[in-house]
Amino acid sequence: MTRPIPANLLDRTRAALNRAIGVYRGTADEPQLVAIRDRLDEPLRVAIAGRAKAGKSTLLNALVGERLAPTDTGECTRVVTWYADGHTYRVTAHVADQPPVQLRFSRDDGAIEIDLAGRAPEEIDHLTVIWPSQALRTTTLVDTPGIGSLTDRVSRRSWELLAADGAEEEAMPTDAVLYLMRHVHASDMEFLKAFRDSEVSRPNPINAVGVLSRADEIGVGRIDSMASAQRIASHLTLDPRMRRMVQTVVPVAGLLAETAATLTEAEMERLRRIAKLAPRDVEALLLSTDRFRESMPELGLTRIERDVLLARFGLFGLRLAAAIVRQRVVRTAGELARELSERSGLVELRAVLGSLFFERRDVLKSRSALLAIDALTRTRPAPGSEATAAEVEEILAGAHPFSELRVLTSVRAGWVTGKPAVIDDLERLIGGQGVAPHVRVGLEPDASPQELTSAVHAALERWQIRCESPMTSREMAIAGRIAVRSCEGMLAALTGGGRGE
Amino acid sequence: MTTSETAATGVLERTAQLVDHALRACEAYQRADLAARLRHARRRLYATDVHVVVVGEFKKGKSSLVNALVGTDLCPVADGPATAVPTQVRYGEQVAAVLLREGEPPAREPIALEDIRGHVVETDAGSGSTPPRAIEVSLPRRLLAGGLVLVDTPGVGGLNSAHATASLAATSMADAVVFVTDASQELTRTEVDFLYQVREMCPTVICVMTKTDFYPAWRKVRDLNQRHVGTDFPIMAVSSTLRSRAVAAGDKDLNRESGFGDLVAFVADRVGVSAAKRLATECAADVANAMDQISAQFRAERATLADPDAAQRIVDDLAATRAQTEALRGAAARWSQTLNDGVLDLTADVDHDLRSRIRQVVEDSDDMIADIDPADSWDSVETWLQSRVAAEALANYTMLRDRAEELSWEVADHFRKASGAALEQLAVHDPSRLAAQAGEHKDLDLSKMKVGKQAMVALKNAYTGGLMFTMLGSLLGLGLGPIGLGIGLIMGHKGLRDEKKRQLQNRRNQAKNSVRRYCDEVNFVVGKDSRDTLRRIQRQLRDHYAALAEELNKSTAEALKAATDAAKTTKTNRAARLRDLDAELARLAKVRQLAGVIAEGTA
Repeated sequence: MTRPIPANLLDRTRAALNRAIGVYRGTADEPQLVAIRDRLDEPLRVAIAGRAKAGKSTLLNALVGERLAPTDTGECTRVVTWYADGHTYRVTAHVADQPPVQLRFSRDDGAIEIDLAGRAPEEIDHLTVIWPSQALRTTTLVDTPGIGSLTDRVSRRSWELLAADGAEEEAMPTDAVLYLMRHVHASDMEFLKAFRDSEVSRPNPINAVGVLSRADEIGVGRIDSMASAQRIASHLTLDPRMRRMVQTVVPVAGLLAETAATLTEAEMERLRRIAKLAPRDVEALLLSTDRFRESMPELGLTRIERDVLLARFGLFGLRLAAAIVRQRVVRTAGELARELSERSGLVELRAVLGSLFFERRDVLKSRSALLAIDALTRTRPAPGSEATAAEVEEILAGAHPFSELRVLTSVRAGWVTGKPAVIDDLERLIGGQGVAPHVRVGLEPDASPQELTSAVHAALERWQIRCESPMTSREMAIAGRIAVRSCEGMLAALTGGGRGE
Repeated sequence: MTTSETAATGVLERTAQLVDHALRACEAYQRADLAARLRHARRRLYATDVHVVVVGEFKKGKSSLVNALVGTDLCPVADGPATAVPTQVRYGEQVAAVLLREGEPPAREPIALEDIRGHVVETDAGSGSTPPRAIEVSLPRRLLAGGLVLVDTPGVGGLNSAHATASLAATSMADAVVFVTDASQELTRTEVDFLYQVREMCPTVICVMTKTDFYPAWRKVRDLNQRHVGTDFPIMAVSSTLRSRAVAAGDKDLNRESGFGDLVAFVADRVGVSAAKRLATECAADVANAMDQISAQFRAERATLADPDAAQRIVDDLAATRAQTEALRGAAARWSQTLNDGVLDLTADVDHDLRSRIRQVVEDSDDMIADIDPADSWDSVETWLQSRVAAEALANYTMLRDRAEELSWEVADHFRKASGAALEQLAVHDPSRLAAQAGEHKDLDLSKMKVGKQAMVALKNAYTGGLMFTMLGSLLGLGLGPIGLGIGLIMGHKGLRDEKKRQLQNRRNQAKNSVRRYCDEVNFVVGKDSRDTLRRIQRQLRDHYAALAEELNKSTAEALKAATDAAKTTKTNRAARLRDLDAELARLAKVRQLAGVIAEGTA
């Protein structure tokens, strides 16, 4: 993979942090700065946020590939919970102004049950679950209680985590956010706005991706629900208000994704039994959840087995799985799991996360760190902190990846306007849909270096002409120069070879 | 469901027969004025709409519910936010749909049933033609035959938006409200708050939980919800999908499973029948009053014939009553003064209330703008402002409604006091009174109630139903417009920080000015609307009571003439005439008694 990001961005940030630590040595702020420095080497932190019952824990489980977070019909996540990779299984509670406390936990029915040792959820700032897992190696996932839940205090926790208010407070504890929504709500918009920050960009579509979770509900379980959800997601992505706040919107049938990631052979066997019925009977059986529970005793499934199947797949999942098992050559649980994973939108979501978050993790992490120093130097200046502030400012203003992000947000905020095709081209070139060169010039992943080079050359020329044209608006010209620099950077990487793969 | 439907239509049928009886009497005694009123009452019996408004958060299946209720795919069900204009479904012999476009009066444009979808579903602005305001659909369904009108409201924007306030306003004139939620999750705080707000506007509310076919845990969600709202609202669990299938396939079991039985029973029984009973009572009161007025003339004649010695006194009394009813007419009458003064006061109060509310909004938004950068949250300011202004407009309107109601009772009271005396005087010398005593007590209530109820009818007409919808709609159309953003692009240098600050200040000032312009416009629009509404109320009430005064006056005149003529009748003719009169009075008393029975049976 090519790395258009200058390799030294993280190093420059680290150097700035070290100097800041020197300035603040011995003050109460030192530990915080040290923690920020350590964060540069830790996995990217991605928060999963959204209203109550948006399916946050379910999606977390799907992404991890294990049933870790408890999911239920009522509200169940009551404390902000971090899921991180580690060597041992461990759960700790973090209470404000106190050392972390290790907690006991059990894992009977899949999900982890944590014993809060008599503490009320409101007292606990957050929980950390250390869990050895391949999926958590590159990303730490943060599960949050829902916003807009009936209990006010629970949702306030999430606000505090995600809405650290601009420059006045510490930087956000997370680097990126997956925002789950069932359908767009006025209050969802409010919520997204909490991710604004002041310096690098405002309102900020850099580090947020919208997920139309529970996508199967959109068509109330009709077999074409996902297609319908896809249409709505594309429509939402075009909504100017939405564009200003999230990079893109991806539909995911969360429950199905979770089940696909953890499908068992026994479940496959039960699905086979359903798929053996005549299509008419399958339809009658899956007409409603009550019918599935109670009709056709000849199926040979107990009431409990049926309930478990419903809870795992949902009506939509059952309809879809039954159809797949009947029509396709899906023999094993593994094959079905892959198929369902694909159909649930999880594969697509992973790809989007890869290109939008993971590939630019260094930029996102640097950004979080620099913002934190900037906020600190402004709210609590110390002797020598001015030089630190200037250094931070220089990195933020000078580093090309940040310029790209600023142009991206300006475009998304509607400050830079132009024909849709031009705007689209601009967004791509500056890495709006992923930072890999082939994505930037709109080629397939398997494009040859020659194809890439000529495509980048073409883009470079196109934008040089556009920038110099007197017909181009001032804002577009400024944005265009950044695109030109992006092209130049790509060409250098492609031809120079040294920085390439 | 059939029994309740026949219950509603049965009540209406019996009442219509009663009115027909009374109409024949009016025509026989040449009281065209009374006949006109009764004919009007009879028309209203069948033409009065019983509005059941369906509200709820968007994507909860409101349209599917309406479709399943009437068993037709009518309201478009879309997977994205769907219904953008209210859709009314009412009874009609033929299936038909009409699109109402913005305008005064609204332009009516017949459309095909299949095209509803294209018009109702949210479209992007700027399509050229005037925006649609509502869609009316007629369907030959038994459920709707009693005058039931189902109103599907737009779910656009969710419950926090100005649209929701518009829906809330629509519920103020509704006979019942169906609040729709679904089994996907518990009621949210917003939903619960909205439910209680709705109840303030319309006391008959039920909460319907849809999509029970899809969510396995619907029973649990229902129980959780019932705990949230306690016993304040009954919760019905239904599945529109199952119901639609059941209707299409004629599957009784499936229909039972869909849970629609209870809902249909609620709509037909509690809403339909009670509305029918209310109409019947109002109509019966009209009949009783008309019969009383006709009887007055025969009673006067009879009294004079029965006791020639008292003739002069009776004539004198009637002349005095005549003077009294004469005084009911014209602008000098007390009820008329109460009405005119009251409307003047009310106009001033409502206007003042609106202005102080809007001033508060301006202050609040100034505070808000001081904390934000309009460049990135201007559209949220706009959304906030619209919904806030809509809420204030609604509060202002609620005040208008409540005060107007008080006023109309006051006017009614004054009118009744003046006219009631006249009516009683007409009956003083009536020897047949004892015969009709059985129904007497009831009668008094009837005439009292009649005056009051009429005032309510007048009010309802003056509001013209979805008025608030339209008004809020025009508010939503106002918008705040864009504000200049300044540059602020790309440069991240500290040297620019002051420049940035200056630009921010500039943006804030622009924003504040926009808010002020908007609020001025709101003051203008809402103020004009409430003045117009009050003027309509005044006119309706005045016309109503003026007509009543005319009728009364005519009745006393007839009675006086009958008494005067009777005094000249010869002794030989007297006995025969007395027999005739008793027969006439008995006939009238019978109709009147029937009216009493209907009023009693339905009260």
